[in-house]
Amino acid sequence: MKKSIAALTLSAALSNFTHASSADPLESPLWDYMRDQFIGNDKYVFDERIKVDVPEFAEDPTQVPITVNAEALSGQIERIVTWADLNPIQHIFTYFPHEQIVPRVSLRIKVQQGTAVRAAVLTKSGVWHIGGSYLDAAGGGCTTPSAAAANPYWESHLGEMKTKFFPRQSGGRYKLKIIHPMDTGLVDSIPEFYIESVIVKTSSGDNLASMQLYPPVSENPVITFDVRNPDQKHTIWMRDNGGNEFEQAL
Amino acid sequence: MMKKYLLLILFVIPSLSAMSAPLSYQLTAELVAENTWVLQGKLEDFSKRNGGNIVNTGFIVTGEGVIVIDTGPSLRYGKAMRALIESKTSQPIRMVFNTHHHPDHFLGNQAFDDIPIYSLPQTQKYIKLHGDAFAENMYRLVGDWMRSTESLPPTKALESSDITLGKHKLKLLSFTGHSGSDLVIYDETTGVLFASDMVFYQRALTTPHTPGIDIWRGEIKRLKQISYKLLVPGHGPIVSDQKPLKQMDEYLAWLDLTLQTSAEQGLSMTEVIQIPIAEKFSDIALTRREFARTVAHLYPHYEEAAF
Repeated sequence: MKKSIAALTLSAALSNFTHASSADPLESPLWDYMRDQFIGNDKYVFDERIKVDVPEFAEDPTQVPITVNAEALSGQIERIVTWADLNPIQHIFTYFPHEQIVPRVSLRIKVQQGTAVRAAVLTKSGVWHIGGSYLDAAGGGCTTPSAAAANPYWESHLGEMKTKFFPRQSGGRYKLKIIHPMDTGLVDSIPEFYIESVIVKTSSGDNLASMQLYPPVSENPVITFDVRNPDQKHTIWMRDNGGNEFEQAL
Repeated sequence: MMKKYLLLILFVIPSLSAMSAPLSYQLTAELVAENTWVLQGKLEDFSKRNGGNIVNTGFIVTGEGVIVIDTGPSLRYGKAMRALIESKTSQPIRMVFNTHHHPDHFLGNQAFDDIPIYSLPQTQKYIKLHGDAFAENMYRLVGDWMRSTESLPPTKALESSDITLGKHKLKLLSFTGHSGSDLVIYDETTGVLFASDMVFYQRALTTPHTPGIDIWRGEIKRLKQISYKLLVPGHGPIVSDQKPLKQMDEYLAWLDLTLQTSAEQGLSMTEVIQIPIAEKFSDIALTRREFARTVAHLYPHYEEAAF
């Protein structure tokens, strides 16, 4: 008996040792598969400085607020990939922040069940820094028809945008809302229909930030992000997978 | 030998723990005024430990039969409540009220399926529409306590605003602030106000179906004009003073101001959820969790207004 306990302890210690660098702090059953899908065999570290803020519980699984914050790596960021391990469509967005934009973004997402929500930040040195949080949820967010499916309002208002600038202690903040059903394609007879590209440009036409969105982003997306230079004029451009383009001065 | 014991322990312990605690709410009723009994729930959130018994229900023994106010979160609760009523009086149960359509207030209805169950007309509609989904969610939240519970909508929509049974004359007041259709019952005979979930006391209020904080606050003002002797909140302790109404008003005002200021500053939802609860509400249970829920329910409207 003692022997077998000792053997167990030893094997536990060994397995701890071999996986020490890669053990998923969120203990998600899909971590290995997700890692393979999103970052392949690249080098990665779990990094507590990459913050993914989620509520304790998804009160409305079709509109769960998240904030991804990679400020700790400002200036070194190549891109930020965000996903939810246990969603039927995992990929939420990929974000390419310019140095003049704060690498922090808030939006709302759909979740199908309780899941780890991840942000993997690829630095210019080629290493992924991975942060995440566990979100508890009753579920159903991805396979529930959008509210738009029951209400033709969106048809005549598609792409209508509201934007607002908020001065901050340093820099400034933009919040924007756009009317779009963001259909996942997982509901019977409603094909996927979502905004797939968002670009913030400076008045000189440079891309300040570009984001690729995926269907888990909630219907009528509300996106919040911060710029370092509040005096600059910005415009926003979006395109959905139906080829519709939407553009507005911020 | 050792191994055998180990196996025994492995198999026996889980089954013992499952069997040793037959689920029982251990309901007790407190006589709070003449002929008037209240069953007080815990100041907690739904859990597998409390079986959803987080709600105050009550009954009035009128002399010509019993009036039941809300039936609790499950069939098991409804049955236990009925047994408790029958242990206190031999008078028959004559009518049951569901104050609103939230699951902890009506899912015990099956235990009273031989008695007319009344609610406001809108509450009856809501329960017909959403009752099954509420029941399903409760199974997820509290588990086996819900066994055999199904949504049984009220059988009668209230048409009058007062009712007299035996010695008791009840005013049936219609509000909307908490759930969109809230029945408040004022017993003119005893001065007891069954405030339903229009009033939470020492337990954070919930907002999933409120038509708006301003509407709720306006209706709290109306409740203040009733000169009750005793107030039974939907959740929380029973008191004779106006403290619960004051607390409701102050907390709602704080919510309103916090959400509005946040929207004007452009805060995102996750940032709002992290805002500290004002110090003066520190003795109210579950403010942190309910505030996060309220942000999810109401903040989008404040954001919209701030664009």
